[in-house]
Amino acid sequence: MLDYTFQWKVVWKRLPDLFEGAILTLELTILSSIIGLLIASILVIWQKNDNIFLRNFTKTWISIARNTPALLQIYIAYFGLGSFGIHLSSYVAVLGAIAFNNAGYMTEILRGGFSSVSKNQNQAAKGLGLNNFQTYVYVIYPQVLKTVFLPMTNQFIWAMMGTSLGIIIGLQELTGMTTFLQSQTFRPFEFYFIAALIYIFISKSILLSSGFIAKKYLRI
Amino acid sequence: MIKIKDVHKSYGDLKVLDGIDLEVNNGEVVCLVGASGSGKSTLLLCVNALEGIDKGEVLVDEISVHDKNTNQNELRKKLGIVFQQFNTFPHLTALNNVSLALKLVLKMSKKESNDLAEEHLIKVGLKEKLNHYPSELSGGQQQRLAIARALAMSPSYLLLDEITSALDPELVGEVLDTLRMLADEGMTMIVVTHEIPFAREVANRVAFFHEGKIHEIGSPKDLISNPKKIRTKEFLSKIL
Amino acid sequence: MNYSFTLNDLLFMSQGALITFVLTISSGIIGTFIGFFIGWARSSSSKIIFYLLGIYIDIIRSVPLILQFVLFNSFMAIAGYPMDPFLSGILTLSVYISGYVAEVILAGINSVPKVTRNSSRGLGMTYLQDFIFIVIPIGFKNIFPSWTGLMLGLMKDTSLIAVMGATPPELLRSSQIIINRVHEPILILLGAGVFYYVMCYLITYLAEKYEEKNHIKSMEIR
Repeated sequence: MLDYTFQWKVVWKRLPDLFEGAILTLELTILSSIIGLLIASILVIWQKNDNIFLRNFTKTWISIARNTPALLQIYIAYFGLGSFGIHLSSYVAVLGAIAFNNAGYMTEILRGGFSSVSKNQNQAAKGLGLNNFQTYVYVIYPQVLKTVFLPMTNQFIWAMMGTSLGIIIGLQELTGMTTFLQSQTFRPFEFYFIAALIYIFISKSILLSSGFIAKKYLRI
Repeated sequence: MIKIKDVHKSYGDLKVLDGIDLEVNNGEVVCLVGASGSGKSTLLLCVNALEGIDKGEVLVDEISVHDKNTNQNELRKKLGIVFQQFNTFPHLTALNNVSLALKLVLKMSKKESNDLAEEHLIKVGLKEKLNHYPSELSGGQQQRLAIARALAMSPSYLLLDEITSALDPELVGEVLDTLRMLADEGMTMIVVTHEIPFAREVANRVAFFHEGKIHEIGSPKDLISNPKKIRTKEFLSKIL
Repeated sequence: MNYSFTLNDLLFMSQGALITFVLTISSGIIGTFIGFFIGWARSSSSKIIFYLLGIYIDIIRSVPLILQFVLFNSFMAIAGYPMDPFLSGILTLSVYISGYVAEVILAGINSVPKVTRNSSRGLGMTYLQDFIFIVIPIGFKNIFPSWTGLMLGLMKDTSLIAVMGATPPELLRSSQIIINRVHEPILILLGAGVFYYVMCYLITYLAEKYEEKNHIKSMEIR
């Protein structure tokens, strides 16, 4: 059925290029997750603010991030903002869109984390004489961390999947680089296959190490 | 000495405390009994400033609890509180549950706080459980842990909020034994409880709460064996 | 040539939205079907089956959809069966979503307490009777919200196969085609966003109504 000779040597030769793409993928994933987490930490506070504007702003952010495709968000950042004279590089557009998306989902994860800590914990800590700051740092946050750690890991992996959309606006992260290389060598299957393996390897390493941290340090 | 003077508190339209007057002398054990929702637990939270009040005053050693110039964190060092749902910290071992506030609030060194925590855990019978997490303890053990946590702060007063209500019947005894020991040592306590036999045995005075008021108060002998008011009789006949 | 956005363009985008719906429903049905059997198989007592299918799920969840799509297409090409991108798109989406559905199904089966299953078997029900009349009805309620979430994600993911040039164009691709002519990217993209938003909102709304009616407690997962 398959009269096709696989040629892995070509891929082997271009492996350094693939790694370069993988590093860009990781870089975008890490940066977009950090930015997303920072924004989410603010949004989760604004969500309960007395100011109705801040509350609605947060609500809108979350619902746009969740109810439209990430690809559309990238398109808007890359093509759409051009209408306002803002021309982003494909790197910034992908980073911004994935961070925007991350922030929306991460706010929901954090909200879930905070609501999982019972109100009584606050009372118990105050009852022992801890002040507000101490209560948060030593009693509330450690418990929130425990509930959000694994969902955040999943979100991180998702962000990595999301960065692959960069190919569409010409970014040479792992998927984009692979596509570029296969178009030069006409060996699409071999290249895409190895790229898939690299993605699997990275995801698996992240999942294993977060599982290890969860067990060893967070007792999850 | 704790003085509660004409304290009122409402949640919206719901009057929870409707003019409470009560004085608790040093070394005294006062038990608060009454149906759920009659305001007993809320009163404890008000004494500890975990809840505000609408009217009246609470004085702990002549310091007004709800005065805005009062440092409430400082005040709470005098008042230990233990809750119905234990409220142990799930992310900390038994030892760290006790030592956390010693370090943060009383500024003890790590060694001091750990030694003191260990001492109190041994006192409540948790010698074998120092490095266990709350999830690995039974309800009775968790509640004793919560008591040790409050005691380690060497409070002048102990506020206990239905601390046996969430326990399986066979675990109630071990917690009550701990309280008996404290009463014998002369600890001043306000105890919200449904354990009437325990109240009869340990309390100096028993107060019956009804609809946000102290309906009747007296020695356990009088109140429990010879209630004067009809509501008190009704309540006791239901619960005994 | 006309350079402004016309009613025809709106119609074109609506058709795109319809294609998005068709893609979502067809791959949603196929994917749920595959995922159901994988999840069920993983709930069996065989450790080997559990781990082998676990690998399948792991791969699906850790390779970007777009890469799965091009990988599948290039494989079919070298195998000598080049495929229409629309069809291969549906297949890739189905396989992709099946990995997630399988996890949800497994969670649903495990959510049925052991005592409940023991009591139905204790009444003399066979394994299959217990599964069909006890496990599925209880598990279904537990996983319905998560499954709806997956279908919403799937709808958004259909935008990916547009890029590979599948025809007829779905919503995002049709927007892109209009942009090439009208040069009003922000308006048209925002318009496409509104389409997606409304479709997501509609599904969420219907699901919530259904949950309310059937007393299903909503729990959000991605």
